[in-house]
Amino acid sequence: MKTIVLTINGERRELAVQGYRTLLDTLRNEAGLTGTKKGCDVGDCGACTVILDGKPVCSCLVLAVEADGARVQTIEGLGQNGRLHALQENFIQHGGAQCGFCTPGMIMMAKALLDANPHPTEEEIRFAIAGNICRCTGYTKIIEAIQASAKT
Amino acid sequence: MSDLSVIGTSVRRPDVPGKVTGQARYAGDLALPGMLHAKIKRSTIAHANIRRIDFSKALKLPGVKAVLTHENVPRVRHYGSPHPRSASVTCDQYILDRKVRYWGEGVAAVAAESEEIAEEALDLIDVEYEPLAAAFTVEQALAPGAPVIHERPDNLVVDPVLVERGDIGRGFAEADVVIEGTYELGRPTPAYMEPNVCLFQWDAEGRLTAWISTQTPFMVRGILAEVLGLPLSKVRVLVDHMGGGFGAKQDLFQTEFLCALLARETGRPVRLEYTRKETFLGGRSRHPGGVWLKQGFKRDGRITARQARVTLNSGAYGSHAPGVTSVGTWALTSLYRCDNVHLEGRAVYTNTPIAGAYRGYGCVQTYYALDCQMDEAAEKLGIDRADLRLINAVREGDISPSGHPIVGHGLEDCIRRGAQEIGWPRPKAPAHGSIRRGWGMGCEMHGSSAYPGIKEQGNATVRMNEDGTVQLFTGTTGLGTGAHTALAQVVAEEIGVRFDDVSVVHGDTDVVPWDIGAFASHTTYMGGRAAQMAAAEVRKQLLERAADALEAAPGDLEIRQGMISVKGSDRRISVRDAISPTKGVPSAHIIASATYHPTKSYSFAAHFVEVQVDTETGQIDVLQVVPVHEVGRVIHPVAAEGQIEGGIQQGIGHTLTEDYVIDLKDGRSLNAGFVDYKMPLSLDMPTIRTILLETAPDPGGPFGAKGVGEDPIIAIGPAIANAVYDAIGVRFRHYPITPEHVVSALKSGKR
Repeated sequence: MKTIVLTINGERRELAVQGYRTLLDTLRNEAGLTGTKKGCDVGDCGACTVILDGKPVCSCLVLAVEADGARVQTIEGLGQNGRLHALQENFIQHGGAQCGFCTPGMIMMAKALLDANPHPTEEEIRFAIAGNICRCTGYTKIIEAIQASAKT
Repeated sequence: MSDLSVIGTSVRRPDVPGKVTGQARYAGDLALPGMLHAKIKRSTIAHANIRRIDFSKALKLPGVKAVLTHENVPRVRHYGSPHPRSASVTCDQYILDRKVRYWGEGVAAVAAESEEIAEEALDLIDVEYEPLAAAFTVEQALAPGAPVIHERPDNLVVDPVLVERGDIGRGFAEADVVIEGTYELGRPTPAYMEPNVCLFQWDAEGRLTAWISTQTPFMVRGILAEVLGLPLSKVRVLVDHMGGGFGAKQDLFQTEFLCALLARETGRPVRLEYTRKETFLGGRSRHPGGVWLKQGFKRDGRITARQARVTLNSGAYGSHAPGVTSVGTWALTSLYRCDNVHLEGRAVYTNTPIAGAYRGYGCVQTYYALDCQMDEAAEKLGIDRADLRLINAVREGDISPSGHPIVGHGLEDCIRRGAQEIGWPRPKAPAHGSIRRGWGMGCEMHGSSAYPGIKEQGNATVRMNEDGTVQLFTGTTGLGTGAHTALAQVVAEEIGVRFDDVSVVHGDTDVVPWDIGAFASHTTYMGGRAAQMAAAEVRKQLLERAADALEAAPGDLEIRQGMISVKGSDRRISVRDAISPTKGVPSAHIIASATYHPTKSYSFAAHFVEVQVDTETGQIDVLQVVPVHEVGRVIHPVAAEGQIEGGIQQGIGHTLTEDYVIDLKDGRSLNAGFVDYKMPLSLDMPTIRTILLETAPDPGGPFGAKGVGEDPIIAIGPAIANAVYDAIGVRFRHYPITPEHVVSALKSGKR
């Protein structure tokens, strides 16, 4: 076991983890943040996307010990002062979530996109979320939701 | 119906805020104190008897608490799919058997202090197999002297489906043109994003509680009780949110029984979560196989005879094969009118992973054949493809596959509206270098609910609280489609309260009324109609109370936005004041239950598709899709469109890239993961312009609504195949159609 320090959604957390433990399992099982989902555990589906020191990553491909000292943003930290983030609001309005399992990862990926590129084209949105598999929506309404968020 | 205020509006879905904030709890998000983790050891051979299985080493591994094999679990033969006492499923599974029937079947299970320990223990279980000859294709399984997979003649899951109407001999004799072909079907899988997961716990009184990602909690309860020998009152199944299922999560997957038994043996809660690979190995796919189809046509386009042999590969167990084979075969009696039909449907056991229920349920396979062949016929007859379909389209009064008369002219409406929308027939686009473009269309119809194949019903209880808010108790499951929102809209509309004043109680078999489960486009149609009926009774009781207060007859009252008024006057009272009149007086207890025994309704669709084919690389891109769906009544436009767009995504995958491949040498799974099993991603998806029609509302559905979940995955397949033909003049009679197929067909000059 090794003790690591993560700043998760602005809060400093000390966590004792095994060397083989992924960031995903650490968030879900040690930090109690189950909003980040495990769809494949091998980096193929994007459901576990979080923002690590400003960059979107598959948290199943990062070992927790590698993230020692890092800042992590998860879906739970997106809203502020009880208010939903524009992406969250637009995913509700535009039907961007159905079963919702890909949604946290999808929204975090979209946030990383909009942080880097506030006014993406449709093609840039499609490219940004190409590693996030959704099986319910056909992506149409997800893209609409991200476009609407870019405007606000 | 023009004064509807909640139906037809895209209200804010109450389940979604939890999903976009990470607060929604899925079965896999739960943990209990003292919880153990289970893993399943899977066979490394496709067909064998287990000669010996030794788990003594595994038990000695620190942290391992229990190991189960066929030697220490109850030997109860059970249904793999949870419709006990229904003709649509087979009873051919054991929790663990002495024999394995496919590569990847579970042979043992371990419960340990951590997933890692459980996994390590699997390697310490020693299994000695006595290999048996295996059959992987239906041809192999049907051949004389084929290996016996279950003790069934010819490896048939059930007796063949046989449908005969009219006289096909006469029909073919009358035909001017006869066309026949064999259409080969790949093995797509649902690939829901949430891997199967469950958590089981027993209490001190011997009551079993299961948190599980399932579409069918009551069916899970029933089959668990049956196999474990418990009364239904001692099994509680809980489902809150679930991450998709698309039909496959109707089955039990061995895991449920194993976790229940491991939890009983260890006295601790036991959790099991499939890996993504296991969702392939131990999941359910669509049925692969083939459809041989022959039809006769008059010069004017009318179909005179239809003959078909549908042969589906069920894999190692029956699961939904009887239902899928029956629905798919019977579907060929319809869509396009024909008086003389002779149809045979067979489901065959093979030593491959299990095929089960999957969105489109048999119709994906048979309508692919039928609608590809309609294009072949149109060309031979020199009739426009849309016109040929209109000539033959089923319409008002025709007998549907379920035996019920069709209501309205939904199919014709869809074809005409789509043709108008895109300006059909589209002129041939000029070739650019190696790029060819083409348009195609496909049609479908699908029943709402599994009635009468399964004797199902819709149930609902509606209660009004003392502040005038309303709670709907429903046994339907929240699969992610937004169906619970639709049900709440139905209740709000029926009573006359605001949508926000209705909440939905669901997901607990101890609390809510029985429901068969979220499948077969059942929820909105059946659950919705039952909810409407219960809401109508609540409204009636409420109006009786309000009538006293307003000194008017109940029939003279109306309720809008939570306000009850005497029609044509300004006398009014709020719903809240009607139910809780004065301080100190108990509020009225208004609660009503309803059961809906259905008729049957069909939804219709026509999909128009433009594709682009690169004749050098063989790449097929879908450029745009215009799906037109006749759904009776649109309850929530955004949710309905979302169902259609998602169905099209899966259908594009099935037709172009998705195929779960089994090695024909040894039955091994070759692409059990998302890198090699290729689904459409955001970059692969075209623009979709969905058109919803309400031209044939069904008297059986709530406010005329019919199902929409199954439909969109069916018509897209043949539409793409037909568009590819339009683009490059090559007729593919199979799916998926891959770049290799395109290039080799063009090279060989096959047309």
